[in-house]
Amino acid sequence: MKLPQSLLHSVYIAENDLRQSFKSVRHVVWSLLFPIFMMFTFSFRYGATGTDAQFINFLIPGIVGMTAMFGSINETMSIVWDRSLGVFDRILAAPVSSTSIIVGKTMSGAVMGVLSAVVLLMIGEAAFGIVFANIPAVILVILLASFSFTGLGTIISGLASEPREAMMLSNLLRFPMMFLGGVFFSVDAMPNPLPYVARALPLTYATEALRAVQASDPMTVAVDVVVLLIYMLGTMLVGSKILMRIMTR
Amino acid sequence: MENAIEVNDLTKHFGTLKAVDHVKFEVQSNEIFGLLGPNGAGKTTTIRMICGMLQPTSGTAIVAGHNVRHEPQEVKRRIGLVPDVSNLFGELSARVNLDFMGKLYGLDRKTRGRRIDEVLDLFQLKTRKHDRIRFYSKGMHRRLTIAAALLHEPQILIMDEPTSGLDAQTARLVREIILDINKQGRTILLTTHQIDEADRLVHRVGIIDQGHIIALDTPQNIKEKTQGTRALDIRILNELNPQRWIPLVAKVKRVDNAVLLGDRIRILSKDLSGIIPAVVETIIREGGRIEDISVSQPTLEDAFISLTGKTIREEALSKEEYVKRQMSRSGLR
Repeated sequence: MKLPQSLLHSVYIAENDLRQSFKSVRHVVWSLLFPIFMMFTFSFRYGATGTDAQFINFLIPGIVGMTAMFGSINETMSIVWDRSLGVFDRILAAPVSSTSIIVGKTMSGAVMGVLSAVVLLMIGEAAFGIVFANIPAVILVILLASFSFTGLGTIISGLASEPREAMMLSNLLRFPMMFLGGVFFSVDAMPNPLPYVARALPLTYATEALRAVQASDPMTVAVDVVVLLIYMLGTMLVGSKILMRIMTR
Repeated sequence: MENAIEVNDLTKHFGTLKAVDHVKFEVQSNEIFGLLGPNGAGKTTTIRMICGMLQPTSGTAIVAGHNVRHEPQEVKRRIGLVPDVSNLFGELSARVNLDFMGKLYGLDRKTRGRRIDEVLDLFQLKTRKHDRIRFYSKGMHRRLTIAAALLHEPQILIMDEPTSGLDAQTARLVREIILDINKQGRTILLTTHQIDEADRLVHRVGIIDQGHIIALDTPQNIKEKTQGTRALDIRILNELNPQRWIPLVAKVKRVDNAVLLGDRIRILSKDLSGIIPAVVETIIREGGRIEDISVSQPTLEDAFISLTGKTIREEALSKEEYVKRQMSRSGLR
């Protein structure tokens, strides 16, 4: 089967971005080493309390969701780097439509999020014996979350005028989300008004959905999936509009 | 002769800044055409519009028979763009970079393989084709950037400041490459702020200043417009602020223009022998000691000075203008 030329362009752009990212130390550190470090640090900290199995079961799905966030947002930072280094201009000078560029950049962000999360999921299984029973449901949640984070990253990369500004903005988003998105602490255990803040973050729904998959709670999974879907469509729409404005000005 | 590019009243505004204002020129097939002007004159904005990368505010360009406003993809297929800085993927090898570009231009696998080998061979990069290009020298980067632009065998090559920032040896090599490419039958549009480059390379030149084309002709004809004008160069001994002499010598009768070129004062006049005593007297009266004085034939740079009253070297931007340009580049404010 032959793909239409515009979709082929998107695939080439995504493939090229991922190839570049896998060769970049910055990407490997932020997308994989940092989540691995967090996973082991927190598991050791709480492992001595006697409630380790319960906590590990809570921690690993959260870490997997967080890894999707780091992977996707890091990958979208390539947009602002490409703009500042002129690489974006090289693609714009080629006979490639703006839509193909946006789709390609989105694909690479989502793929990086899913791949990073799956690696952490496998490490979690190997190191702590956590078994993810319903893999298709887990992948669906990770995929929707990765697209949402890609949309957020695209907005940041489009709004920032240079890479340092984008890194600062992305950290301003990632770190509060990491601690308020239910990765290490349950949202229910947070004091007011933090649960309201947490409920505004896509990571909260990703971690909750992953834990609900583990607990065989289809109702919670369904609600979280719908919220992630809305988040995904909203952020991708806004991100695309910003990128389109940059490309067609 | 048929036109490869026709630029009709091309205009671009960034907010209140008129970067390009009703620019009009044509580039004939198989010609090397130069857009010459100082930094910030509107050269890059003009070529970005010609390449279909920037929407004109008004006006249009016809490139290889296609209107850039209505058929930007057809235009892009027929041109190769060499930007002023290398903009390939630093973490990837030359071969992978070229393969990616070939895919974007729709070359099939067999054609890509053949063309990549050909351009790597042509630009003597074959032995380093698997190295990450961030380890390349500036000259290698420049050669690879030109190779990438030629990969899909475009009819027209557009080059933005092709020798900018290169050492003399690499700049000479790049000029030779440009002449070779032109001999193979390709039309070349290049921008430059280097007078000698325009003088040596191009068949015709358009002088652009503050978004306007102020002269359009062969370098020879433009130089002849200063016919009768001759240039006098003076260097003042131990002068830390040679700029202060410009208004003084400019006041001398029959001096057409006086500008600073490095540490030399260049004076243009149609009556050089008549003004020399008065200029020398002015300098001595004001306490200056002449270290060196020489007379020369007008160059393209002198033509530029005659046309604009200033040199082509980079002018310091005012803070207000710098902020405006930064804002327009960010694209959102």
